[in-house]
Amino acid sequence: MKTKTLLMASAISAIGSAACAEDYVIGVMSAQSGYLAPYDGPAYAGFQFCIDEINAKGGLNGTIPVRLIVKDTRSDIAVGVQVVQEMIDEGAEFIVSSADADPTIAAAQITAADMIPTMTFAGTAPVLTQVGPHVFGSYPADNQQAAVLAGYAREQGFESVWLVKSPDSAYTLGGPEYFGEAFSALGGKVVGESNYSLNQPDFSAIVTTIQGAATPPDLIVTWAWEPDFPAFIRALRGAGLDTQVMGGDVLDTPTIRGLGDVVTGVVHTSGGFPDEGSAYADFIDRFKAATGTEPDNNYYVNGCDIAHMIEQAIDAAGSTDPAAVSEAMAGIENGEGIMSNFTFAGTDRMPLRDVVVARISASGDKEFVLRQSADPAILPKP
Amino acid sequence: MELLLQQIVNALSLGGIYAMLALGLAIVFSIVRLINFAHGELMTFGGYGIFLSMTFGFPPFAALVIGIGAALFMALAMERVTFRAMRGADVVSLLIASFAVSEILKVLFQNGISARPVPISFPSSWSGSYQIAGMTIGVVPTASILVTFASLGTLTFVLRRTAMGMAMRAAAEDFEMLRMLGVKANRVVAVSFAISGILAGIAAVIWTAQRGSVDPLMGFFPVLKAFISTVLGGLGSLGGAVLGGFVVGALEVLTQAFLPDRLAPYRDAIVLSAVIAALLIRPDGLLPAKTGARS
Repeated sequence: MKTKTLLMASAISAIGSAACAEDYVIGVMSAQSGYLAPYDGPAYAGFQFCIDEINAKGGLNGTIPVRLIVKDTRSDIAVGVQVVQEMIDEGAEFIVSSADADPTIAAAQITAADMIPTMTFAGTAPVLTQVGPHVFGSYPADNQQAAVLAGYAREQGFESVWLVKSPDSAYTLGGPEYFGEAFSALGGKVVGESNYSLNQPDFSAIVTTIQGAATPPDLIVTWAWEPDFPAFIRALRGAGLDTQVMGGDVLDTPTIRGLGDVVTGVVHTSGGFPDEGSAYADFIDRFKAATGTEPDNNYYVNGCDIAHMIEQAIDAAGSTDPAAVSEAMAGIENGEGIMSNFTFAGTDRMPLRDVVVARISASGDKEFVLRQSADPAILPKP
Repeated sequence: MELLLQQIVNALSLGGIYAMLALGLAIVFSIVRLINFAHGELMTFGGYGIFLSMTFGFPPFAALVIGIGAALFMALAMERVTFRAMRGADVVSLLIASFAVSEILKVLFQNGISARPVPISFPSSWSGSYQIAGMTIGVVPTASILVTFASLGTLTFVLRRTAMGMAMRAAAEDFEMLRMLGVKANRVVAVSFAISGILAGIAAVIWTAQRGSVDPLMGFFPVLKAFISTVLGGLGSLGGAVLGGFVVGALEVLTQAFLPDRLAPYRDAIVLSAVIAALLIRPDGLLPAKTGARS
């Protein structure tokens, strides 16, 4: 009797394994608390929404159902490394990592041995793909954003810029430096720089330094995020300085737009803009209808685009083998995305995507300014 | 010279916030020997009080009062729910309990309100500036300095001239003796928490006016600096906490302003090294407590 039961259990287990073996297993690092939660949360929501849509149509390319393993990293890199290892042990064939370079680089060290493709939710520092050929960005990289923004600034006649940057993260340091490089290449001049620490309590000393500069800048550029940017812009305007401020895509949030008069006229980059009738506008409608939540930033739609990038890579690879998927992903040219199309071919796996420049209006809305690809002639090297 | 004077205004503005937070920590520590690391969450709760009341349409000044009231309420709730039950526990147990309260509140803020910072849009006139002797001074830093000194002055009056204030100072000297004299311990402790809550609420008002947003981690860094200030000033010493706050604020602003660019990444390390050097020379702090609680 015992033997029969054992055989029956083994048979059921084998049948179950066979069924699961057809699933494509994607491990997702998603910080549900800590400094990455505001970015990982929306990105994961958009990703899961589109994976659900894909599964409803039979899976990736209509044939391969997706199973997600989602683990909370609490924005802690050490926890992130641990959960990536757990997800690999549980069969993950693709890892979607947190929306920043540092946790992605840490995750990529773990996935390197098996060449498991690893793609960041929204990390934009171009250095993150230097870990190996299995690591991918998904959002327009900082150097692309900086090149487009610098081109716009020069077109608007700005001659001199002051860079406000933080060496505490690749994003807050790299963005302004790439901007300075591209701005200089276009004939502009960097007249000063200030460093700050992440979560710095007070920006008045930096503002006073800018105020007293021998050559006052006609433009200030920073890639500071929340809550540092609100503190900086309030200190700047509070000191009576109305110098034009420009920044990276991290300013594309309802929090920044909700700051009132102090942010009126601030110009920033963005990954996309939901033009009427566009695929992006359609995504917003579908997402809102299904979840009741209105996607109010680009991380949602970029999360969705990651699902489509994976689908197109598996289609091109003709298999789910990790190394083959990585190779196929790296070869995608003009892949179809919702936020914008994407090209990995010929890049160092940070996708070439259109960059939007937007302005915050007096009513706190996001106004479209322009959309273009970075000019390779002035694109700063990582 | 003008640049230096402007930076001194900045230093007083930042130092004042640290001083108020440090004083809140020191008042509670001096009486119940609790280093309350959840003090930052009082400030955060005050900030959310401002945000929510403005969201519900209260005028800005009313929102500020509600914010201070929210911090006061949270301080009293913290004392009643957690720390009263631990009265008499050793310093380490109290410290760990305060870390636990801090973490619980942060998670509640993240999940109950928003993981993202939420904006607070004060009237544009509050972001203005004025000219004095060739210097451009911001309205908010000026208000911050005035409010800080007014708060510290009021607190000094309360501590020195009222019966409860004297009881609190006596409790800081010898709590057991005070109880034997018939003073109600619970009331003295609750008032000390209430004062720390009000100070955290005022700090939240100034902080949100300067920074324009509130997030679940808002209180963590300023309270860390306030803790450093209390240690520098002399753990348990009220005057030391104020002095320590202003010294740390001044060090931060002046190193930010005058350190060469190549040394800028080491700014925090330089500030903390200066604090350690001061403590090596004066191990009990700049103005040690009379009871000699060593830092």
